[in-house]
Amino acid sequence: MLCERCKKKEATFYYHENVNGNEKTYSLCSDCADELEKKGEFKKFGGFASELGPFESLFAGDPFEHMEALLSKQDLFGSLFAPTKTRQLAERIRAKKCPLCGMTLSDFAREGKAGCPTCYETFADELEPTIGRIHGRTAHSGRAPLKFREKNEMKNRIRVLEAEQKEAIRVENYERAAEIRDELRSLRGNA
Amino acid sequence: MWYRTKGRENDIAVSTRVRLARNLNGYPFDGRLTEEKAKEIIGNVWSVFDGKEGWTFTDFASLPTVERASYAERHIVSPDFAKKAGPCALISNEEKSVYIMVLEEDHLRIQAITAGFDLAGAVQAVTEAEQLLDGALDIAYSEKLGYLTHCPTNLGTGMRASVMLHLPAYTGAGGIRSLQNQLGKLGLTIRGMAGEGTAASGGLYQISNQITLGITEDETVSKLEDVIGQIIAKERELRGCISRESLDNLSDRVMRGMGVMMYATRIGSAELISLYSDVRLGAALNLLGLPTETLDEMLMRCMPNTICTEHEGVTTPADRDRARAAVVKEILGRANSAD
Repeated sequence: MLCERCKKKEATFYYHENVNGNEKTYSLCSDCADELEKKGEFKKFGGFASELGPFESLFAGDPFEHMEALLSKQDLFGSLFAPTKTRQLAERIRAKKCPLCGMTLSDFAREGKAGCPTCYETFADELEPTIGRIHGRTAHSGRAPLKFREKNEMKNRIRVLEAEQKEAIRVENYERAAEIRDELRSLRGNA
Repeated sequence: MWYRTKGRENDIAVSTRVRLARNLNGYPFDGRLTEEKAKEIIGNVWSVFDGKEGWTFTDFASLPTVERASYAERHIVSPDFAKKAGPCALISNEEKSVYIMVLEEDHLRIQAITAGFDLAGAVQAVTEAEQLLDGALDIAYSEKLGYLTHCPTNLGTGMRASVMLHLPAYTGAGGIRSLQNQLGKLGLTIRGMAGEGTAASGGLYQISNQITLGITEDETVSKLEDVIGQIIAKERELRGCISRESLDNLSDRVMRGMGVMMYATRIGSAELISLYSDVRLGAALNLLGLPTETLDEMLMRCMPNTICTEHEGVTTPADRDRARAAVVKEILGRANSAD
């Protein structure tokens, strides 16, 4: 999903606020999230997802157990984080809701299955340990749908041309460099 | 249909299945999908095949319960799909070797079944069917997690490949438990004939890959090829070690089994499965001149719901046992006269 503000970068930050029934939801890239936070639009509870990693091993066993632990806050995290941080973490996780199907992390922990394909993007950080525990790995290798294969081919083509362009400039073949520049321009325009 | 053809390593391998789990972007999964959206998915998927020669559409939701269960017994659809409430459809090719379940747990389950031990053939069949869909539908995929599926256990390739093996000697030698442990370490799993959560009956087991993320389709297939090849070799070795005395006993049991199958007027489902296992082993060891695929066909066509679907007016268990005995006699009689 693209950032709803700049509509250019991938949204990696999701924010949901409910003040007396007045709901606000954001899906933003990290840059826009920083900017809005500076403007005082909201208070970002940054950096928690990466802090969760080392504690994964605490919840080995049931792949969904750690989610419940994340949600049942104080007891497990009480000794690890300052109380306010703990509360913020729990609130942040609780507030997250999949924009397509409305699933929350506690729904996921209870059902053990995603609500829609978008859930994997919405809960990417929280699900990573679960996925790692199931498969032993967290990154795909294997086939891809046509449109991704085309995208990858284009990326590879751009990489090759960029290297060629550098070389052309180095040997002062400016005519060739200009040709490559035009080709790259049209490739990037398509991408 | 797979059980009408002879396959590779048929003396031990019964059938091979490969399925791909695929989903469409923009639609929730089962449980969060409205009836309207479900019908929209079915319409979109069928529109890809509609007009292409050989493909058939079945409104699976409108079939009677026994017919749905019959599809599950013959491993054409999953048991969950047979019981599913709400809209769902089954799309199949002319040869009945590829079936697409629409709105099983995932939006799409593309499945190919082949006779014997034939992973390459099954993979090729599902891949060809998938190519028809790719590009025409917006398939849910992420570069990090691969194909996105309802259950996180299917993420990545979304591919489950399984081979059904007849392992009476392995079972008799008490080797299944240690096999189970060894397979677990390799990311593979062994189950009873009806799949997930079922006990083994008739010495039939399904061996399949467990892990789908971080391993390519080719790696999965070659790992299974390798391991199953070894299991087949071991089963064959164990069969070769049956002592003369045991072989004599087995031969007697096989012939008695044939007697029951040829002349009994009622045969129960559990009884047939046990007769099948003995006689199939006898056929594989050339104790009698009967092709193993004839016995596989017999077993598939004698499952309770399949009997009820194929025979009008059969409702009570006694009716079913009578109809089953008649089917067994017909299939074995046909095989004998072909000799």
